[in-house]
Amino acid sequence: MRRFADYNPVAVAVYSLCAAGVCMFTMDPVILGISLVGALLSLGVTGQMRRWEMHLYTAALLAVMVLVNPLVSHRGQTVLFVMNHNPVTLEALIYGAAAGGMIVTVMYWFRSFTAVMTSDKLLYIFGSLSPKLALLLSMALRYVPLFGHQAHQVSRSQQALGLYKEDNLIDRMRGGMRVFSVMVTWTLENGIITADSMTARGYGTGRRTRFAIFRWTRGDVLLLAATLLLTALTVICLSGRDVRYYPAFRLPPVTARAMAGFVSYGLLTWLPAFITGKEALKWHCLRSGI
Amino acid sequence: MIVIRSRRVREALRIALPFAAMPLLVLLGATFLEGKRHLLISLGMACMALLFFLTGFEKKKTGGRRMVIVAVMTALCIVGRFIPLFKPVTALTILTAMYLGGEAGFLTGALAAALSNFYFGQGPWTPFQMLAWGFVGLIAGALAKPLKTHRWLLLLYGVLSGVLYSLMMDVWNVLWYAGGLDWSLYGAAVMAALPHTLLYAASNFVFLYLLATPFGEKLARVKVKYGV
Amino acid sequence: MALLAVRNLTFTYPGCTGPALQGVNLTVEKGEFLAVCGPTGCGKSTLLRLLKRELAPLGERSGEILFDGMPQDALTDRESAARIGYVMQKPEHQLVTDKVWHELAFGLENLGLPQPVIARRVAEMAAYFGMESWFDREVSTLSGGQKQLLNLAAVMVMQPELLILDEPTAQLDPIAASEFIATVHKINRELGLTVILTEHRLEEVIPACDHLLVLHRGRVLDCGAPRAVVGRMADQPELLPFLPAAAQLYHAIGAQGACPLDVREGRVLIEKCGRSGLSLPAEAPLDEKGPPALRLREVYFRYGRNDPDVLRGLSLCVREGEICCVLGGNGSGKSTTLSVAAGLNRAYAGKAEVFGKPIRSYRNQSLYRNCLTLLPQDVQSVFLCNTVREELAECGDAENMLPFDFGPLMDKHPYDLSGGEQQLVALAKVLATKPRLLLLDEPTKGVDAAAKQRLIGVLRALKAQGVTLLIVTHDVEFAAACADRCCLMFRGQIVSEGTPRSFFGENSFYTTAVSRMSRGLLPGPVTVADATALLRWEGEA
Ligand SMILES: Nc1ncnc2c1ncn2[C@@H]1O[C@H](COP(=O)(O)OP(=O)(O)OP(=O)(O)O)[C@@H](O)[C@H]1O
Ligand SMILES: Nc1ncnc2c1ncn2[C@@H]1O[C@H](COP(=O)(O)OP(=O)(O)OP(=O)(O)O)[C@@H](O)[C@H]1O
Ligand SMILES: [Mg+2]
Ligand SMILES: [Mg+2]
Repeated sequence: MRRFADYNPVAVAVYSLCAAGVCMFTMDPVILGISLVGALLSLGVTGQMRRWEMHLYTAALLAVMVLVNPLVSHRGQTVLFVMNHNPVTLEALIYGAAAGGMIVTVMYWFRSFTAVMTSDKLLYIFGSLSPKLALLLSMALRYVPLFGHQAHQVSRSQQALGLYKEDNLIDRMRGGMRVFSVMVTWTLENGIITADSMTARGYGTGRRTRFAIFRWTRGDVLLLAATLLLTALTVICLSGRDVRYYPAFRLPPVTARAMAGFVSYGLLTWLPAFITGKEALKWHCLRSGI
Repeated sequence: MIVIRSRRVREALRIALPFAAMPLLVLLGATFLEGKRHLLISLGMACMALLFFLTGFEKKKTGGRRMVIVAVMTALCIVGRFIPLFKPVTALTILTAMYLGGEAGFLTGALAAALSNFYFGQGPWTPFQMLAWGFVGLIAGALAKPLKTHRWLLLLYGVLSGVLYSLMMDVWNVLWYAGGLDWSLYGAAVMAALPHTLLYAASNFVFLYLLATPFGEKLARVKVKYGV
Repeated sequence: MALLAVRNLTFTYPGCTGPALQGVNLTVEKGEFLAVCGPTGCGKSTLLRLLKRELAPLGERSGEILFDGMPQDALTDRESAARIGYVMQKPEHQLVTDKVWHELAFGLENLGLPQPVIARRVAEMAAYFGMESWFDREVSTLSGGQKQLLNLAAVMVMQPELLILDEPTAQLDPIAASEFIATVHKINRELGLTVILTEHRLEEVIPACDHLLVLHRGRVLDCGAPRAVVGRMADQPELLPFLPAAAQLYHAIGAQGACPLDVREGRVLIEKCGRSGLSLPAEAPLDEKGPPALRLREVYFRYGRNDPDVLRGLSLCVREGEICCVLGGNGSGKSTTLSVAAGLNRAYAGKAEVFGKPIRSYRNQSLYRNCLTLLPQDVQSVFLCNTVREELAECGDAENMLPFDFGPLMDKHPYDLSGGEQQLVALAKVLATKPRLLLLDEPTKGVDAAAKQRLIGVLRALKAQGVTLLIVTHDVEFAAACADRCCLMFRGQIVSEGTPRSFFGENSFYTTAVSRMSRGLLPGPVTVADATALLRWEGEA
């Protein structure tokens, strides 16, 4: 069964950027609504839905962003009430809600994108731009867990050697600083060993090629084509549609053209869910044949 | 196509152009353009600037040891970002730039931002963060000589870069949220971010104060032992 | 024609007074397997690194190195990289990328080979080394043995003509180590690859190699066919402990004829010998009554909430004044046990007591003040200073804790020491904290046989002063020589426990060469000294 995450990383990255990108540059409440639903579906597809602390954090952020605008910006006609001699307007509140909703939706899109993009996929994407950069990224990524581990190890070794005399904070911070400092030494010294190992295996002796374990299949091309087509359609159909927030909130009438835009964006944002559903169905049929 | 003969000028332009153009365009867009178009432009510019820089990096020949040092410093920055409250990222970027040059500093800062955001939340702000941190490293590389000789200058630069970084990121936040550079909103954002800004500046100060000398010694030792 | 020829090579590190190598001459034929041995710090790693141009240390050097008839410097960068493969002493740091598959492909990418070629070679090599099941893993999740195998595979995939290995098995358990050597041997035989290898544990290497080179203080002491070199060692008493057990026994009883090298030949020797009529002095029985210094009862531990258990109901009791050795495979949880015993990790279930008090009741770091100390597996994590002198001064009178002369090392950076020297300095630092319970994690890795003998003396002296020792080790010979109690760890549990003689007498892989040699022939010797006492050479029958 091929999950959405298993598609070619370039196709997936383009998809995510398109889906999030359309949302990022619009303030149209309809598009934002479609996008939010799509982002949540895509979170579900990538298995991120149950991360309650993330939702809590986003909700708090949303609340702040909805409230900040009417308190700072006083444009708009419909005054709800007056605070500190400043009018708080309905329009500003609506704008705050839309802007906050947009930011939260984009964050959700990126969250599901991050969940899918493991380091080797990232390298695959960057590798096609620059093999050297890809190598740099790969090394940095390898060192991150190594450091975390080594820093922990050093501080524990020192603890067992009696580096920390008491349980107080100052002592702890001093110890922490020494550990950090020795980590820099460790890093540089062992980094050189790694560098030697690179040269020993021929790094820098000529043009590098790139080995990747990802391939382009028909499905990937289809996904990419569908993404680009739907995005283009959305942008063309919705350009010129201007939602006004100030001085009074006004939604332009839904024309056939706008409708086409909404539909194509809807299709775009719900692609991962379609793919997952289709695959699940296919798998069900295949399995019943086993 | 204009051909610039001097390699140094070319190199300088490659680095300076995007930085001069970027904030200018953002500001112009913010003041003169309608709706969200300037956001698109500024985001595009940020990405272009990064791409521009990276193609230059790709073309140059970089030794394995330099690569590794940049990689390990990046990783150190990423791990350092997990330290609660005090973040050594900017300080490490500055130090790398001082001893290994502006390009290394830029790469360290930019890559640290891009990669650590995989843990701290990726978003459209990533390119800006990359630029901002890279920028801090780049300038430190250009100022390497005075920074190495005058300690107070280094500390001052650390504090300033903390503040500037915050201010720069606030611009982006406001742009994105309000769809234009709304000054009252910007003021509010700066006020809200004040504790963060102060903490940034303070941690840059502390880390530079503590790390500058030992870091220099360590790097010098590596240079003697391995001839980097 | 010789593949590699070294003529009169002398090398001095910058800032050092004496040369690390002096007048080294050496020839290696195509398809040969050469083993290099010698005491800690004699210059083995230095020699090997000089053979690979990219890794040659900075310093003053004279003499010449010819590869395939050409001076080393005449090779192009590509040739030099592709034709000579090098596996370094530390498995961790020569991995460049973060994924197994990428690590395998890395060298080939550097050579600019097209994708299909890379795919084929990588696939073939992964299959040869049995790596399919962990092909997609991140390298940080591999065990030590897997990392070392990956290093070897990543070098082999470039199809080198000369393979150089620097102590590749230092961190591997006895079974993995002998498998690794067997793999190298197999590559040498099946692919005709020339191999140069250094090791401290020569039990498996000497029977496999074609030539043996002995280095001592930077000079070549002897070089030739292993049987001849080993036979000539009789007049070098300080190098005797380096030999395989069979050869040591041969020299100890003064036997004549061809010198035996491996277990099979050792058995022949024992069969030929007469019995001395003596019996081994009775072993002290396990102390089950004394007050426990460390007691773990039904301990369960895991690293993350959703990780699998690493310790699964581990029970272990070490009595005061005892030397207890824990053996076990890579990843069986030995280091984890020590960290739990040292209070660095907390068991989620079960009890851990030190000197009769639960670990949790030691407040304010009092556990680590003159009570308990841990020498970690990675000794580099012990060093914080810029010179050995500062390092030793930090813990009080560390310089005089061991019967080794640290004088020449005093002003070096701890990271510049050879692997074995680092180990000894770290040990001195740990001993200077004057603990009553000492936990040592693989104290003998990278340490040569002679230093190991002295180390055993030090540990015995500590025991006589009433210090309790819990030692984790992969070195069965070492454990047999110094332990009062040996334990075998398997999947986070102690599965067997006993005095050295009963413990090693019952195991068939986790056991000493002497025990394997004498199985069924002699009553229960485990060390060369035991066997020597039981046998008498009566001349060729
Ligand atoms: N970078 C260095 N700078 C100065 N001295 C060094 C350096 N590296 C090694 N030495 C010294 O050179 C000598 C030989 O070191 P080398 O690492 O070759 O020993 P070795 O035989 O490999 O030992 P081991 O068996 O412990 O690995 C040692 O005394 C060591 O202290
Ligand atoms: N910090 C850690 N985080 C997560 N898992 C770990 C950590 N340290 C060790 N492990 C895992 O716990 C298991 C036991 O590791 P441990 O280091 O105790 O093995 P060991 O018996 O000491 O092996 P070796 O002989 O190779 O040193 C291994 O599977 C290892 O992958
Ligand atoms: Mg060595
Ligand atoms: Mg261990």
